[in-house]
Amino acid sequence: MPSRRVCQILIATGLLLAGISPRQANAAEPGLFTFINRGEVGTLDPNRMSWLQDIRLGYALWEGLYALDPQTLEPVPGVAERIDLSADKTVYTFHLRDSAKWSNGERVTSADFIFAWRRMLREPGDYTYLLHYIRGAKAYEQAFAADPSRADFSAVGIAAPDQRTLVVTLEHPVTFFPDICAFPVTFPLNEKSMEPFGRRDEKTGRISYDERFTRPPDLVGNGPFKLTRWEFKGLLRMEQNEHYWDRPHVRSQAIEQYSAENPMAGFLKYETGTVDWLAEITGDLASDLREQGRTDLKVFPGFGTYFYSINCNAKLPGGAENPMRDPRVRAALSRAINRQPIVKNITRLGEPAASHYIPPGIFPNYESPEAQGYDPRAAAKLLADAGYPGGRGFPGLTLLYNNEGHHGLVAQFVAKQWQRALGISVQLEGVEIKTFRERLHNKDYHIARASWIGDYNDPSTFTDKYLSSSLNNDSAWFNPRYDELCAAAAREPDAMARLKLLSRAEAILLDETPIIPIYHYVNAYLIRDGVSGIPLHPRNMINFKSVQGRH
Amino acid sequence: MLRFLALRIAQFPLILAVIYLVTFLLVWVAPGSPFDRTERVVDPRVTELRKRQLHAEHWNTFLAHYSRQVLLHGDFGPSLAQAQFSVNEILARALPTSAALGCLAMLIATVGGLGIGVISAVRRGGAMDWIGLSVALVGISLPSFVVAAVLLMTFAVFWHWFPPNGWGTWRHMVLPSVALSLMPMAYISRLMRVSMLEILSSDYVRTARAKGLSRPAVVWKHCFRNAFLPVLSYLGPATAMTLTGSFVVEHVFNIAGMGREFVASVQNRDQTLVLGVVVVYSVLLLGLNLLVDVLYTLVDPRIELTAKAHGA
Amino acid sequence: MSRILPADFSDRSFPDAPPSLWRRMMRSGRVVVGGAILLLVAAACLVSLPRTLDPDLENHFYYDGGADNWDWRAPPAAAEPALWFGTDNLGRSLLARCLTGGAISLAIGLAAAVIAVVLGVSVGMVAGYRGGWTDAGLMRFVDVMYGLPYVLMIIILKISLENPLQKLFDPKVGNLIVLFLAIGLVSWLTMARVIRGQVLSLRGQPFIEAARAAGLTERRIFLHHLLPNLIGPILVYATLTVPQAILQESFLSFLGIGIQKPLPTWGSLTSEALEANAILGGRWWLLAFPSALLGLTLLCLNFVGDGLRDVLDPKRSSSRL
Repeated sequence: MPSRRVCQILIATGLLLAGISPRQANAAEPGLFTFINRGEVGTLDPNRMSWLQDIRLGYALWEGLYALDPQTLEPVPGVAERIDLSADKTVYTFHLRDSAKWSNGERVTSADFIFAWRRMLREPGDYTYLLHYIRGAKAYEQAFAADPSRADFSAVGIAAPDQRTLVVTLEHPVTFFPDICAFPVTFPLNEKSMEPFGRRDEKTGRISYDERFTRPPDLVGNGPFKLTRWEFKGLLRMEQNEHYWDRPHVRSQAIEQYSAENPMAGFLKYETGTVDWLAEITGDLASDLREQGRTDLKVFPGFGTYFYSINCNAKLPGGAENPMRDPRVRAALSRAINRQPIVKNITRLGEPAASHYIPPGIFPNYESPEAQGYDPRAAAKLLADAGYPGGRGFPGLTLLYNNEGHHGLVAQFVAKQWQRALGISVQLEGVEIKTFRERLHNKDYHIARASWIGDYNDPSTFTDKYLSSSLNNDSAWFNPRYDELCAAAAREPDAMARLKLLSRAEAILLDETPIIPIYHYVNAYLIRDGVSGIPLHPRNMINFKSVQGRH
Repeated sequence: MLRFLALRIAQFPLILAVIYLVTFLLVWVAPGSPFDRTERVVDPRVTELRKRQLHAEHWNTFLAHYSRQVLLHGDFGPSLAQAQFSVNEILARALPTSAALGCLAMLIATVGGLGIGVISAVRRGGAMDWIGLSVALVGISLPSFVVAAVLLMTFAVFWHWFPPNGWGTWRHMVLPSVALSLMPMAYISRLMRVSMLEILSSDYVRTARAKGLSRPAVVWKHCFRNAFLPVLSYLGPATAMTLTGSFVVEHVFNIAGMGREFVASVQNRDQTLVLGVVVVYSVLLLGLNLLVDVLYTLVDPRIELTAKAHGA
Repeated sequence: MSRILPADFSDRSFPDAPPSLWRRMMRSGRVVVGGAILLLVAAACLVSLPRTLDPDLENHFYYDGGADNWDWRAPPAAAEPALWFGTDNLGRSLLARCLTGGAISLAIGLAAAVIAVVLGVSVGMVAGYRGGWTDAGLMRFVDVMYGLPYVLMIIILKISLENPLQKLFDPKVGNLIVLFLAIGLVSWLTMARVIRGQVLSLRGQPFIEAARAAGLTERRIFLHHLLPNLIGPILVYATLTVPQAILQESFLSFLGIGIQKPLPTWGSLTSEALEANAILGGRWWLLAFPSALLGLTLLCLNFVGDGLRDVLDPKRSSSRL
């Protein structure tokens, strides 16, 4: 019968195809540490890294002048064994270790740093601006973009007197420059291994590198691990780099990163013992686990804030007058929100309800300014003072968010509260993520869900977002006094005085309310018992060197 | 027959070209780009440079570069969102996984669907008819994400009969392929029931019964084969769709197949990957439809294939 | 979840709508039982609309700004109707949400069916009646649309149309229109094929030839002679489009591009329940009630559609072995 024939063909094909499916990893391999990262790794080109998960792997595959202390995540000498700082704190002289080696056995030299940094300026990426603290770097980047033949790299404050010395001259003292030198944008690159992937543009003479240089076995790094396998949205495997200078302190033989399509899949992989560490878990799942008394669930403060961004332009996108131009209206919107129910019933991970932009306590010695909390009566009064008593005459506004996670629930709750406390009706507009970003950045919104997570260990990683010159100033809020304070802080060599200046800047921001802080993030991990070396640090980073799996 | 085949195959490139262009147009005009990756704004010059490197600064540079690459080398280029992987390589990895799953699912769907269809047609109006149809219709009466999640939770999480996710052994394939088979099974059983009913009431079946042939003999010898024809024509597109995976099933069971690339590539506006996925899907669809037409002649020698017959 | 319908359907010849349609429909158990349940569900959703959409009661928010310790996800309780289905992630009555969601889901299904009927019938009739190049052109277009994966089409339609339409109308209205369009625009293809096949076979029949010979306008032939003979297949396929459209909406909700909150649909309620870890967290009611309602309704819709097809095709009405 033909149907039988069809079936036979189907079975045969099915078996054939099943036979060539990928192997299952052996979880009992000694010295193996397995984990699920925060999301899919987007890139391993240090130039282009911007996701947390990419940066995490960056620390395994490379090492900068500074490395991260495994517990405190403070910068500690990495490739540089000794660092001299000039009296005016603008000239750093890095003395590189003789023992620092690439995974192909070559020595790491100052030329490798110059190559990487120069490439970063020529082929800029998301974080190139961090190099702009170096003298002449920004000017060089712009000159090169305009006309490569006219750009002069010798004007940039990066020099290599010899193979093992690197001298960096900054525009002004930058107290957190070591942090930047421990960030993937400043990691060295091995030029020789990248050469086959370079492509020269005949017209401009620019060389750009095909990202395939980051694939194993071509990727050459100088970190504790080397990349041996990387499947698209699949297994990523790293093995100990036998040429790494500090090899005795590398505690895992190999690291495997698994991919999880959704939070539940990641959790089930953890539950079935496939992975030792689950680096992200949703609030609902985590709080259900906590209620079950699970001790392998670790929840600790995060390095960012969830807030609502208010469009402060004089006109709304449609061309109408913007009532939120008035700081009193913005303050009213902020003070009408009771954050407690949000963190208790929606996010459910014990996030601190926020009335600050910079999460209090994440920067040692930084004193958060006074801030106003929930007060519906004061909110109603502020709105009345602004000319909308009881919400009368207030135009219909929309609240933009992306349809993911619990953004929609928070938005529904907040809109309801505004309606109750202020008598204004705000419509929700949940859109898909790409559309959301485009509209947020084009300031094509009234009020939008937003968040910010710090990059390096200094409050300016937060305050810089609201400079009038910042590309990330999504609120279109400008304040010359704020700009001045931030600029003064950048120039201030004394660490304590800087923090004071930045705190005053944050006070202005909170007072003018271009943003409505909702809550501060927390991080949640599931770590299997017997696994060591994963710091519970707000920055959510990890130095894989000191991580040890169960086996 | 040969002339028919030649004509049909000659049409393929044209249809594929149209599909390629239409798809490109649709993803190109959608808001957002594959180059904004986080909520941070990147210096426009950075994005501009990136687009130039990947020939995506303008629709005509994109088409000029990538369509030529596809035509000359069969190379869809790098994935725009993750340029270290090429589209060809992504497809080569995802397609076998989805296809294996799809084959098993189609097998389950065909066997189950035909069985239910025949039984409920023979016992029309009876309890078996009602039960059979209700079971079959679950596949098109509940969202697949609910069915998949319930299957996962019941058989993998609470009862541990099967691994909850991953890929590699037959045990990994059972739950997802069952979940994937429900929808085609519903259609097959419905179709089979309808066409069985039609044939059961036809004259020659009555004659056969009148001649004293036993009921099972009539059902199997005379009816099944003819009733199978409409099902066969459905199997073509259904197989194409099932082989290229289902986003929901692959998502729930964490399987690295084509279905999730379908959706992920659109969500990322990864134009090259979208085009690759759509072309593979269309080739499969066209090919399987052709195969079905050829199989038709094998099942029913009365049908002769002519180019005209298909045009209708 | 497919718009692929067997080619067999398109070749089936439907006879003239018989005068005793109603009586014969009543003879089909599936149509009667399915239809009755369907009417019951639809009536419940519609009748309760004024109450569930009341802005003051809006889905019965149970949270109170002052009571921080209140858990918003209350299990079902018999105490009062609003709590019969328990409360959702924001402390709203799940019963109210399910009723509103049902009304919207059914509306989406109906809208898609209307679009499918209007577009599919016009394209099918024109292609089938005129034949020649018009037919070839229209049918090749339909073929290409079939070749495009519908997941992709529906997502792209939704994403691309949403922004301009939301600017034009209110966000809520814009979103609903886009949903109707995105789902409707991919669901008319089967209808067009079926109708074309029907018209092809009708065209050759004497009464159409006579009408043409009598010099009637094309419009008149379409409306007065062809359309009445197509009621059967139109009715059947329209009924079968409704459950498909509702499922497609639930898929969009699963992808996070479905209905605009706070409006619910059955699909968005189920996908939100899964997202909120309803199964492992023991909040079964969040998933159970909306899925049950959705499943029951779609099952009935499919039953009615299948039953109608059986009834409207007399060849099969007496088939018994």
